[in-house]
Formats: sequence, structure tokens, C-alpha cells
Amino acid sequence: MQFTVDRDTLLHPLQAVQGVVERRQTTPILANVLLKCSDESLSVSATDMELHFVATTALSAAEPGSTTVPARKLIDICRSLSPGTDVRLSMEKDRVLLRCGRSRFVLNTLPAEDFPVFDLPTPEASLSLAQGDLKRLIDLTHFAMAQQDVRYYLNGLLLEFAERRLRAVATDGHRLAIADLEVDCSGLPEPRSLIVPRKGVMELSRALGGGDESIEIMLAANQIQINLPGLTFVSKLIEGKFPDYDRVVPLVETCDKHVTVDREALRQSLARASILSNEKYRSIRLNLKENMLRVLANNPDQEEAEDEVEVEYSGDSLEIGFNVAYLMDALSVVPTESARLHLTDADSSCLITPDRGEACQYVVMPMRL
Amino acid sequence: MDAFYASVEERERPELEGRPVVVGGNPEGRGVVAAANYAAREYGVRSAMPAARARMLCPHAVFIRSRMTLYVEVSVQIRDIFHRYTPLVEPLSLDEAFLDVGASAELFGSGVDIARSIKDSTRCELGLVASVGVAPNKFLAKLASDLDKPDGLVTVEPERVRSFLDPLPVEKVWGVGAAAAARLHALGVHTIAELRARPRSELARRFGKWGDRLFELARGLDERPVMPDHEAQSISHETTFEVDLREPAALRDSLRGLVEQVAWRLRRQGLLAGTVEIKVRYSDFRTVNRSAALPAASAGTRDLWTCASRLLAQQLARRGDPVRLIGMGASRLTRERSAQADLFEAEMSARQRRIDSMVDAVNERYGRSGLHRGLGRGRQ
Repeated sequence: MQFTVDRDTLLHPLQAVQGVVERRQTTPILANVLLKCSDESLSVSATDMELHFVATTALSAAEPGSTTVPARKLIDICRSLSPGTDVRLSMEKDRVLLRCGRSRFVLNTLPAEDFPVFDLPTPEASLSLAQGDLKRLIDLTHFAMAQQDVRYYLNGLLLEFAERRLRAVATDGHRLAIADLEVDCSGLPEPRSLIVPRKGVMELSRALGGGDESIEIMLAANQIQINLPGLTFVSKLIEGKFPDYDRVVPLVETCDKHVTVDREALRQSLARASILSNEKYRSIRLNLKENMLRVLANNPDQEEAEDEVEVEYSGDSLEIGFNVAYLMDALSVVPTESARLHLTDADSSCLITPDRGEACQYVVMPMRL
Repeated sequence: MDAFYASVEERERPELEGRPVVVGGNPEGRGVVAAANYAAREYGVRSAMPAARARMLCPHAVFIRSRMTLYVEVSVQIRDIFHRYTPLVEPLSLDEAFLDVGASAELFGSGVDIARSIKDSTRCELGLVASVGVAPNKFLAKLASDLDKPDGLVTVEPERVRSFLDPLPVEKVWGVGAAAAARLHALGVHTIAELRARPRSELARRFGKWGDRLFELARGLDERPVMPDHEAQSISHETTFEVDLREPAALRDSLRGLVEQVAWRLRRQGLLAGTVEIKVRYSDFRTVNRSAALPAASAGTRDLWTCASRLLAQQLARRGDPVRLIGMGASRLTRERSAQADLFEAEMSARQRRIDSMVDAVNERYGRSGLHRGLGRGRQ
């Protein structure tokens, strides 16, 4: 294996896959990236056995071959070299020699044959959509995924492929996010729903651009593969039953208190009050009256914050407690200038929606005061 | 307590008197010995040994499956006796604890008086034999309590620390296991006296930070305070197997006992755990810690077990090599139940809470023989 390439052309695919490499691996080779070089292209693969990224870049006049080298070190070396300079990689016995200007590095390798093979699934179904659309869908929901929850099926993003709609759902049991995308899923033999693990979702969101270049999603029995420009993403799926989330989304019609509020004004008001909320529980109180929403917070040291926001509301007054972070997370992504809050009583969940359109909905459970 | 589980079983079943008794897993399967009485120990049976091996050493022993709920209940009674003398009780396991009686002398007499009185109480009230060590610190007290089992009472007065320690083998020093002992022997250090003769700088050079600790322990110095559970940052238990284990079913069995002990200590202190951790040490001494957050802080045996057993299964799937130690712990401790309502509560925890309160109510009324949870027992 031997090739010469511009430093940036080498660094880019390495950075694209580096998030997959675990800091603490149980198997040494998982700390490495697989470099696979053909006459005219270089592919860089990384895996943690659950998630697999392959980034590809064009080469000229390369000598084919493959090996694996320590990911962290190779990335640090490339990053430290001057942009725009040429880097030459070659094998020297069973080690990799990297030369660039007056610098020279020799790296240990592990055999390419030992690198775990991720058999790309035989796709049962595939569909294409704009990468910006998928990114938006993830951005609207990912923050509500659970983290290391014992209910393992919550540590990921539910994707539901129906006939004309792709829906993403995330929940940690305290709040829930739903986002919908109109897309032609008629390529699927039947509706499918699957759970992509949290780490894959976060890495995918990082890899996706905002534009309308087309990407391809392929589904297999227990894997999902997404082909982005220059990058292939393969993830195992979480096997488990996602809870019946429909049951916990309140219907707008059954809520009797509907508030319309400037999204950013409320978010900022919450941010101010949260400074003096209990640091551990992040609890705040909302006091709703005719056309006025008051945000109240206090901490164990008896310090207090009070903030008022004008709203459109007529009806009975209500006092209800929430984890302020859950409200702020949802308000940060609602895509319209005004948001609508639909409430019932202090023990019932709050539904947050954009003031028009049905692109997303958020459900937040209250805290007992 | 001496041979705690086995002693409790002997007390419950007088027909066992004088016979070798082994408590633990199934000797037909891959079970592990949890405790053996002194009659069984004469045949070489030890705790943490595979039960099948114990059966080979002592075929006529009576083999009994562990009844953790019963031992936990007796443990509460033992702990109540300890608390008569001081609030500073640090449980080490179900049947072992450190007591700081420094401030109890006026009411109850000297450390030795209290030790005698505790031994009498456990014998008369509970029918159990205890060994006690009385010493200026935790290291020496634990050492002293182990020296004259069963039914021991060993006192180490401050002026006698050196003569007490000097003849003992280095294996008796807290933290010195087989591997460390072999390294010390290679340096010509076999007794604590020989360890004490080594300069601090040499120990620090050879053993790093732990060398400092060795230097202090060889002089009987140990500043660790007695830490009651309610001040703890985390509560954990671990167990080292005599022979490394790789059978998931046997490891699950051991984990179950650890979970019940940790859950019980939490509940006793009115604490709830936010995070559950497991620790797996493989035969190559590589140690893996895995943790997971509970959906809501809890001290429920079932909640902790669901989480811990899942973590263990995941780790064993990652690496199925022989295991020499497993541990289980609870951290992010809090006193208040979360005020945060759960979206799926109706589906999951409400039912569990009903079962819990039912079990508690029955047990309160009818005692230990009432109900206890299955926790996947018998599932392989």
C-alpha cells in the first residue's frame, strides 16, 4: 500500500469517522482505523461493533493495499501537519511510514484481516431523501433520547416509515419529541419502525449537511445503512419494543388551556429564572393567568427568581411545575416564531406545538410542586 | 458473625447440629459456596469455592440453597444490637461491621466490655456466635477479629500494636492478595516486621502510591474513619471467587446476592439510588466498570436487579472470559423520590410499587417466611 495525498484530503475522511472510535475499547483493533486503498480511492473505516462508518476519498496513482493504524494518533499527526502540504503513506514491513516535508512518523499496525467486517446488509427496502430533511428530523428530536437508561429501548431514536411519512420519536420517559417528514416511502413493502442507537444518531447528525443532496436509506433485518456523499453509515438497531407513545400524547381537543407565546421570549425568560432553580432537579413553577405567564424559581438557599412573559391566553389560572431544561430544549427547536402550549391541570402533561403546521410536537410531564 | 449463613441455617434447623453444612449454589450445577460451617471447613470447604468441588471434598455435607431474605432479616437484628452502643456503625457486609465506640465509654464501658456485651447479646438473643476485634483503627480491628475465629475476642492495645503485627505474614495486610504477596516474597518480605523494615522511599518506588499505604499499614496506621451508610456517597458489595467463573448463570447467582445486600442497605438508610454500577474483574485482572441510570431513583430490589443483571449480561456478551471478582454498587444517592412525573409510569412502575408494598405488608405481619421476590431464580 502506498499513496500520496494532500493533507486536507486525508484529514477529512479521518475526522468523519473518528467519533465512532471508542475511547476505551475492549478489543485493541477497535482503536484503529482500517485504511483500504485501491488504484484511485482510499476508504477509511471505523467501528465500535455497533456502528460502522466508511469515508471514501479519491486518490491518484496509488499502490493498492490495506492495513489498520491507531486512529487517534493518525488523526493527531494529520491535524498537526501544515494545511495544503503533501502526505505520503507507505508500508515499511508491518508498519506504516508517513512522510510530510521534513517530518517522518512510523506507526504500528494490526492486520487488516483482523478488522471486524460489517457485512453490509442485503437491503430489504430502500428510499431516498434530501440530507437536510433527515438532519432537521434528527435535530427536532434527538435531545429527548434517554442516556444509559435501563429501559435500553429509550436510548435511541425511533424511526417510523409509513406510506407517505417518516416520523422520528425520542423520549426519556419524562418528555417526548415527535417530528414528521413528508416523504415517499412507497419503496417499502410494508410500514417499518426501528430504533437507531443514540451514538449512531448523534454521529449521523454530525455527518449530515443541511443541503438537498439526495441520500439513500437502506433497511435490513437488524441494521440500517445510510449512504451520504462520500460516507457510508451502518448501524445495528436496538432490538426492543418502543413504548406505545401515542397513548401519552394529549390531544389538543382534550386540553382546555391553550397559550400562544413568543417562543424566544419564553425561552429567554426560562433561561433567566433557571439560574436560581434547584441545580439538581431544575424545577421551576409556571403561573398562568389571563394573558400573563409568570416563571418562578427558587433554590435550597431560598434565593428566588421571578420573570413575566406576555402571552395570549384566556381561561382559568393554573400553577404547574416543570424541569426547566425540558421546556427550554423543546422551545429551542420549535420552528415557528410563536409556540403553543396546551395544558390541562398541574398533574397532566403539557403539549408544545408550533403555532402552525404539524412538523413537530413535544410532550413534557410536570413535576409535583 | 462466624460462618454466618451456615450458622443461621443451623439455628433454624436443629437437626443439622454437628453436621457439616454448606450454604450456596447447587452442587450439581455451577453454583458457588456462600458459606460453610466449621464442621465443613475441616474438610477444606471454603466460601467462594465451586459447590461441586465442596461436594467432592465433603460428600456427606448438607447442601442448602441460600435464603437471602432470611439472612437479611437476621442481619437487621444484628445491626440493631450494634446500634445500642453507638450510632457510628459502618456495615461491611450482612454480618460484619465496624463500630466506632470512642464516645461510648462513659455509658457502656471500654471497648472490651462492649465487645463482650455484643457477643453475649448475639449468642443469647439470636443464637449466633461472633468474633470481635478491639483496636485503635479499622485495619487492626478487622485483622484482630479474624485471628481467633470462631468465638474470638482479640484486643490490640495501642502500645501492643507493633508486637501484635510483627510476627504476622504480609498476606494479612489489608489489600495484599496473592499477586502482591508474591512480589513481596520475591523481595524477601514475608512478615509484617520485614515489611516495616523497608524504607518508605523503596516501597513508594516499587509499588507507587500503594507503597505509601503499605508503609503506614506495616506500622498499624490507618486513618479511615468509620463511615455510617447514611453519609456514604455510594454503597457497594463485591465478591472474589476462589476459582474463576465464566458461567453466566453462576455469575448471575452471585450478583443476585450482592443486589439484595445493597438494596437492603439503601432501604435501611432511607436512601434511593440514581445509578447502578457493576464491576467485573477478569482473570487477567483487567477490570471493567459499567453503570446505568435508573429511570427514577429507587431502592427497590427489582429495579436494581433489572439494571444490574442487564449490565452484567451486556458485559459478558462483550467479553466472556473467566471472571475472578464481581461487584455491584449504587450511587448518586438521594433521599427524595423524584418529583418528576413519568410518561409511562402507569405502564411500568405503578405495578411494581403495588407488588413491593404488598410484599412489605405481608412480611411485616407474618415475618420472613411470608413472601419474597423471584428475580428470575431458576432461569438459566
